[in-house]
Amino acid sequence: MPVTTTRRQLLAGSAAALALPAFARAQSAVKPRLTAISQWSAGSDGAAITALGKKFEEKGGVWQHSPVPGFTTEMMNKLRAQIIAGDPPACSQLKGPEIAAWSKIAPTVDLDAVVAAAGYEKVVAPDLAKLHKPAGKWIALPLQIYSTNMLFLSKRAMDKAKADKIPVTWADFNELAEKMKAGGVAYPVANGGTRPDDGQKFEAALAGISPTVYRTAIMNLDTKALQGPEIKAAFAQVRKIADWMDPNVGAQHFSTNLKRFIEADMGMMIMGGWAQGVLRNAGFKFEDFIIAPGPSDNGKPVFLLNADAFIFWQRKEADLQAGQTLMAQLVMDPAIQTMYSQITGSIPVRTDVDLSGEGWSDGQRRTAAALKDAIASNQAVLSLAHNMAQENGLTAAMIDVITEYVKNKTIKPEQAATRLAEAVESAR
Amino acid sequence: MTFAVSTATRPATSDMVRRLPEYLMIWVPLLLSAAHLIAFSLWTIWISFTPSTLVPVSGWVGLRNYNVVIASRNWQIAFDNLLLFGSAFVLLSLVTGLVLAILLDQRIRGENVLRSIFLYPLAVSFVVTGTVWSWLLNPGLGIQKLVHDLGWISFRFDWLIDRDMAIWTIVIAAIWQSSGFAMALFLAGLRSVDADLIKAAQIDGAGPIRMYRRVILPTLWPITITVIVIQLQFAISTFDLVRALTNGGPGIATQLPALVVYDLMFQRSLLGRGAAAAVLMLLILLAVLLPYAAWRYVQRRRAIHA
Repeated sequence: MPVTTTRRQLLAGSAAALALPAFARAQSAVKPRLTAISQWSAGSDGAAITALGKKFEEKGGVWQHSPVPGFTTEMMNKLRAQIIAGDPPACSQLKGPEIAAWSKIAPTVDLDAVVAAAGYEKVVAPDLAKLHKPAGKWIALPLQIYSTNMLFLSKRAMDKAKADKIPVTWADFNELAEKMKAGGVAYPVANGGTRPDDGQKFEAALAGISPTVYRTAIMNLDTKALQGPEIKAAFAQVRKIADWMDPNVGAQHFSTNLKRFIEADMGMMIMGGWAQGVLRNAGFKFEDFIIAPGPSDNGKPVFLLNADAFIFWQRKEADLQAGQTLMAQLVMDPAIQTMYSQITGSIPVRTDVDLSGEGWSDGQRRTAAALKDAIASNQAVLSLAHNMAQENGLTAAMIDVITEYVKNKTIKPEQAATRLAEAVESAR
Repeated sequence: MTFAVSTATRPATSDMVRRLPEYLMIWVPLLLSAAHLIAFSLWTIWISFTPSTLVPVSGWVGLRNYNVVIASRNWQIAFDNLLLFGSAFVLLSLVTGLVLAILLDQRIRGENVLRSIFLYPLAVSFVVTGTVWSWLLNPGLGIQKLVHDLGWISFRFDWLIDRDMAIWTIVIAAIWQSSGFAMALFLAGLRSVDADLIKAAQIDGAGPIRMYRRVILPTLWPITITVIVIQLQFAISTFDLVRALTNGGPGIATQLPALVVYDLMFQRSLLGRGAAAAVLMLLILLAVLLPYAAWRYVQRRRAIHA
């Protein structure tokens, strides 16, 4: 018997077939999904966010992370394009004052309820919390903290210099550098040649000389403080540092020279805590180097804060909204922060995480202790070189002056200080 | 049958139909790219008069963006560099290309291989050129280290990290990249010189040097102008090469206008100022292209009248 199919039956059948996937979707409409962009694609950063994605998937979510390799600004270009196109990611990397600036161009998610439910506000440094709720409501969550002025000492360079004391003040630092030079370390200061590298030398110098002036001059842009003697002193210290660096690095990334640092061709490195992750990822051991807080003339640790964060952009889709809630919960979770920081070498945002256990390095413990001390003595300040103190435009104008000064030894510290004040005036 | 009849009565239409693919092939892309170019140029010009920062916004700030950009140290350094880089690069690549072309023109063996070798750099992207030269020119890794290792310790070649000389490293890399292009154009020019002219010169007893100077090279000057214009517009818009080679450094010593535009727009999130810098670049470009267009126009008029 021939099978006869009327047109009506065919239509009904195909309609049902078409509707099936939609029905299946409706059944699991709560399956959380997250579209995220960040600059973290490779190395320890890439490994950490991949691990975070795994946790997200373990909780039943769909993890859609699109990394944009390169500097943060390149990730921002993609973010800008997506926002202009009306299709922002559910969540993106963004930090510092940029959170406030960007939150004005597209609607963000109000995270107050989920933050309150986790009791998170109590365990975050107040200065840091302020950056993540620019209009009074939480719209972004810090993920991990770095200090940009950690001092890395090469063990073998210390041996060459016959030194075992970790320098505390800039005078100690300068003395050790001279000893290293005398002991046969070709370049007592290891470095890269990128703009943030040069910026870090200056911010470490100034914050170490006077955290108070750093706050008024760099964070609050006080004109008088910007022309004060501390700024000149900081530039003078930067000149010393620059003279100890290898001039041949050109525009290389700091990580290019890590091998020379470990092998005592270079001695000390002023770098963010992330260098620990990079060193470990490159196969070097904890025995090869020492991590200590950057030099501080008053003896108490100065902490130049750099915190990575996620901002959450408003989406209508139910699955993306569920994904945002899940992501926010994960980012605040002490276990997740522990996992993340142990991979990247940062320290957790939560001040209640215990770092005494296995998996943490001495450097991380020292960093966390330094943060606590620095907060107590009001010496935790926001990093300029890593876009925490000012918005990008102002930061770039200041770094222009600093990077030119580092590379041009004919500029006097006084001239540099004047130019810095001028750059701030014209960029304001 | 009807088709044949209709073609007979309306030949013009059928011709149009037959050539439709050709028209489509030429006009659609041409109009699209022209629309793109004009629309985005106009848009950029508009943005340059607005207070746009992170994203484009409307508003009017007059010439403020232009004043700020022109007064900025970055732009001044970039503009000076462009003058130096542009003239040095165009002149030297012209000379290198011409010398290579004349040498290749001697009916030598293996000409094809040599020509490919000299043209090959053109097939490499600027980022690759910049990166490779940044390693070669790095005194701690490249040429200087090689010579040191060979025993000549006092040898110095550290232009890459010398702020006064760093711009010349970009000239070197750019010449390496594009003198092959100049060579190819000149070679074509040399080959198209009327053989009778050369014969006549030979009969008159002209030696090779005299022949090049008096007979062949004067016929090359239209090609020379073409090469100059193409290389100049390349020089003005140089971006990827310098970004990979020095990234504007040491410090900000090798800034070029295109780097300033990118920096303002995307690193500093100052769209209005970036657009103003881009319009300034367009004006520099027009300063080169308009005289060229005028020259072409005069040439054509002359050809028609003659």
